[in-house]
Amino acid sequence: MSKGLTDTKFIIDFQEQRHWDWKVAFYLYGAGTSAGLIFLELVLRDLGVVDERVALWGMWIGLVLVLLSLAALFDHLGPGARWAFFYVFRKPRTSWIARGSIIVTVLVFLRIMVLLPSVPGFNELPWGEGTFSGVILRASVLIFAAAFMAYSGLVLSSWNSIAFWNTPLLPILYIGYSFLGGMAALPIIVLVLGGEAGLQVAGPVFWPSLLILLLANGFVLLLYVWGMSTGTIPARESVRRLVRGEHCWSFWLGVVGVGLVAPTAVVALILGGGLASGSNLAVVFAAACVAVQVGCFLLRDTILRVGVYGYPV
Amino acid sequence: MARLGFTVDLERCVGCMGCVIACKAENGTPPSIHWMKVLEREEGEFPYARRTFTPVRCNHCANPPCLTACPTGAIVKRADGIVAVDQDVCIGTMACMTACPYYVPYRWDGEDGYFGKELVPYEEEKYSKFKKGTAQKCHFCYHRIDEGRPPACVESCPADALNYGDLDDPESRVNSLLRQKKHFQPRQELGTNPSLFYLTGKGGGTVGGGR
Repeated sequence: MSKGLTDTKFIIDFQEQRHWDWKVAFYLYGAGTSAGLIFLELVLRDLGVVDERVALWGMWIGLVLVLLSLAALFDHLGPGARWAFFYVFRKPRTSWIARGSIIVTVLVFLRIMVLLPSVPGFNELPWGEGTFSGVILRASVLIFAAAFMAYSGLVLSSWNSIAFWNTPLLPILYIGYSFLGGMAALPIIVLVLGGEAGLQVAGPVFWPSLLILLLANGFVLLLYVWGMSTGTIPARESVRRLVRGEHCWSFWLGVVGVGLVAPTAVVALILGGGLASGSNLAVVFAAACVAVQVGCFLLRDTILRVGVYGYPV
Repeated sequence: MARLGFTVDLERCVGCMGCVIACKAENGTPPSIHWMKVLEREEGEFPYARRTFTPVRCNHCANPPCLTACPTGAIVKRADGIVAVDQDVCIGTMACMTACPYYVPYRWDGEDGYFGKELVPYEEEKYSKFKKGTAQKCHFCYHRIDEGRPPACVESCPADALNYGDLDDPESRVNSLLRQKKHFQPRQELGTNPSLFYLTGKGGGTVGGGR
């Protein structure tokens, strides 16, 4: 059957953003969480919250996560054209995507450098732990990890085409969620490594920090949605789609329920002593942290999906 | 150097879609790609309801957000203001599509022709100019401009609703129209400074838009 022009209806209406889909959301989630993870691994290890083994595994898992997210991003590129992906670094002076690509590439490179001395056969590398070059390397990793966390929000907020993204609160939200995802990955890693050893699960630092992060992110999310609900017409339309429209399940059930409320309740119970210690406790912790990961991904995905363009004229 | 611009007279446009067909015929865009569109909207209520038509296309902005968003440098701006895509450099990030507030660019990932899988010779010839996986958008028919001919959409408009010319030349046809009629630029609050002006009625105003 032939396709005519009449197949396409040209009407003036809000246009939903459909160019950036779950693959980009997974990239923003994976690379953001990985950046948060590496940041926390280095800092929490110095604070003695995680031991060397957990920190090392966290670094490896973070590396795998960022590589997976880059694979998703690669798949998002145009079929046939994607093999020229190295062009993506060409315009860092104007393009946030170019800047982010440089940041994430350097971060992956630095992370491999940090990890190399732990690989048998590379133990004698001069930037091992305790060396001056090792300290510089780790400081560089922290800087680039922080830069990527900020980038993941800035890349969206820098454009005024989609009003729902065009706010300085978005980078703050994404930084917060990168930290949250990174922090919530730790108990999962500990469980996979075989128990609670190494992580002060009920200790004075980790769970209160996670609770504060959950509450702070919830507050920023509330502020963001409320701010947008009083913004321009396209921004209000995005909020409508988010809280009442076709993406409301993803938002209320996924981002708010699974991603914030449920883990907050679990952490609050842990801190309040409401959960008795036992062999299943680590599983409960890890389940709460998996829920956080689901929320972290769905937040990125939902924010991408509810973005609408204003009228073109 | 000239700075090319368009005017669209909303009082004259009758929604015949001649410009859409002319663009399709000239550039041979695949079925899912429309560089020229005429948007329709119903306004008012019975018995005063009416349908309005708004031709939209790439506005070839003076400050194109697609150009700054593109990480590869595939979006290029010529000295005469025409904004085009270099398909050899584009890798299909869709940054231009997301950044454009007029949602003008498309990405072509390959598809059947208008008559199914088998392309007619015309489609074979025309589609061969589109690189799969890259962004596509109106390029102001620069091949015609370079030959001194008007863009296909302008040439085909039976109502003389579309016009083009040099915005830097006070005597050009577009500036003459801008002097005669009230006009506005689409979404000018975004600071993109489009090179397209919608004419809405008698009154006139400043010529050439901002730089």
